[in-house]
Amino acid sequence: MSNVKQISVFVDNKPNNLAGVLNTLRENRINLRALSLADTSDFGIVRMIANDTEKTVDVLRGASYAVTVTEVVAISIPDSPGQLSRVLNILGEENVNVEYLYAFLGTSDKAVSFVIRVDDNAHAESVLTNAGVIQLTENDIAEM
Amino acid sequence: MENYWNQEIECMSREDMKKLQDERLVAQVKHVYENVKYYRDLMDEKGVTPDDIRSTDDLHKLPFLTKADLRDAYPYGLLAKPLSECTEIHSTSGTTGKRVVAFYTKNDIDLWHDCCARAITAVGGTKDDVCQVCYGYGLFTGGPGLDGGSHKVGCLTLPMSSGNTERQIQFMRDMGATIICCTPSYAAYIGETLHDMGLTTDDIKLKAGIFGAEPWTEEMRRSIEKSLGIKAYDIYGLTETSGPGVSFECSEQTGMHINEDHFIPEIIDPDTGEVLPEGSVGELVFTSITKEAFPLLRYRTRDLCVLSRKKCSCGRTLIKMAKPMGRSDDMMIIRGVNVFPSQIEAVLIEQGYSPNYLIEVDRVNNNDTIDVSVEMNPDQLSDKVKDMQKQERLLAEAMKAMIGINPKVHLVTPKSITRSEGKAVRVIDRRKLHD
Repeated sequence: MSNVKQISVFVDNKPNNLAGVLNTLRENRINLRALSLADTSDFGIVRMIANDTEKTVDVLRGASYAVTVTEVVAISIPDSPGQLSRVLNILGEENVNVEYLYAFLGTSDKAVSFVIRVDDNAHAESVLTNAGVIQLTENDIAEM
Repeated sequence: MENYWNQEIECMSREDMKKLQDERLVAQVKHVYENVKYYRDLMDEKGVTPDDIRSTDDLHKLPFLTKADLRDAYPYGLLAKPLSECTEIHSTSGTTGKRVVAFYTKNDIDLWHDCCARAITAVGGTKDDVCQVCYGYGLFTGGPGLDGGSHKVGCLTLPMSSGNTERQIQFMRDMGATIICCTPSYAAYIGETLHDMGLTTDDIKLKAGIFGAEPWTEEMRRSIEKSLGIKAYDIYGLTETSGPGVSFECSEQTGMHINEDHFIPEIIDPDTGEVLPEGSVGELVFTSITKEAFPLLRYRTRDLCVLSRKKCSCGRTLIKMAKPMGRSDDMMIIRGVNVFPSQIEAVLIEQGYSPNYLIEVDRVNNNDTIDVSVEMNPDQLSDKVKDMQKQERLLAEAMKAMIGINPKVHLVTPKSITRSEGKAVRVIDRRKLHD
């Protein structure tokens, strides 16, 4: 499996709640690779990819946050027009449903990385591999 | 093997108990009529004299007392003994602006503690037990009542009062406490803290808990029993009638035996005041037949419940009252529908949520709104917003099925709703601000 572990944290939609999560990470010297925030009027779900998933989960749970880990697909594609639409078309044609996605910085300025949350990781992985799309692994993320 | 504190009384035949109640009631009415002008005036107004009360069959002739009377007569208007014979007072919190002060003679205190000793014995307490009392001490009746009962039984008594939860748990472990007495919401908090400290029920020796002073549900009972590894028993009382120990639960856990040798219960229609037959739901009314200093006759508790004389497996013959469905003070009328916080609590526990919640009632454009904040369940966190919104929707639907109106449910972070160390505040009604 080349999937990447994403950490999700529940926060109230109130001042200082997101800061609290990030303060906990700072105090434990955790570096984030990717971050996105989904929000409703009541609460938010912070999704992130960290350099050390296990430690991040431990310190957040230790600070009484509700945390869950899900496997997501991470890809690296050339930084040029039409590249993301190509990937989405491949997934769409194979009936892979995308729940959400967000971009993050890779190490190369000629490529851009995305986290993609799909309903079927194994299926997505095989169609992306067949189409020659570069998928990032846990190791790739840890070494960034 | 059932243990009794006072087997003669607790298992007395109905016939003998009625005889005892008749004698005590007749004497009590005379005592009140002679010494309490406020109640004498009420009786005169109704055209009733002490001679009209010859047995408990005549009880219905007496006028009611309400909380409003207690407020009018504050502080000494209902006192039936000279202050020189009183040794103690207790008081309600008065947060609703209706402070009630009750007086006790030495004998009143003794009988009250005796009632609490019956409750402790009924949950299996003996002089070999260590009883941790974490009800508040002071003006509140909870701490002093159970403390006195525990001393009578001869338990090693830990007079902890409420608060400082980690220290409570430390004492519980160091002293090997076997019985705990507090409000159910504080018991739930202690259970939660125990597990947060990385401890389990194997680290404590508790076997039973006596929980009262606020309404709680069967679901809450099961949840506390699991988190503390105990049997959880209900106890009932109110400051107006002495405090905890008016009634108490036995091993059967199906309702509370009323100490009928001290308190005569009635169930009335809250609207007409008419006495209802056994088994009817109505407002609970108590007549104190042994209290000397503050003897309330036909006091309306505002608690809605049912009485039953069904034979109890514990052997006690004392009449049983069901867990009150809620004090009519706690009842909210939302869009014309009666709603009790305990109904919301039952849904939350049944659905696997924490019993810590906050109900906010407001009025927007002349429409009542009800918002319920619920601590999300960390085991059910999803990275998908729609999953979390579905949890809110399912909770709202379950609440609607229970209370008949559609609340707005808001998931909030775990442990973010203030924990209670005494009586929990579950409802904020902002409609009053607009009136």
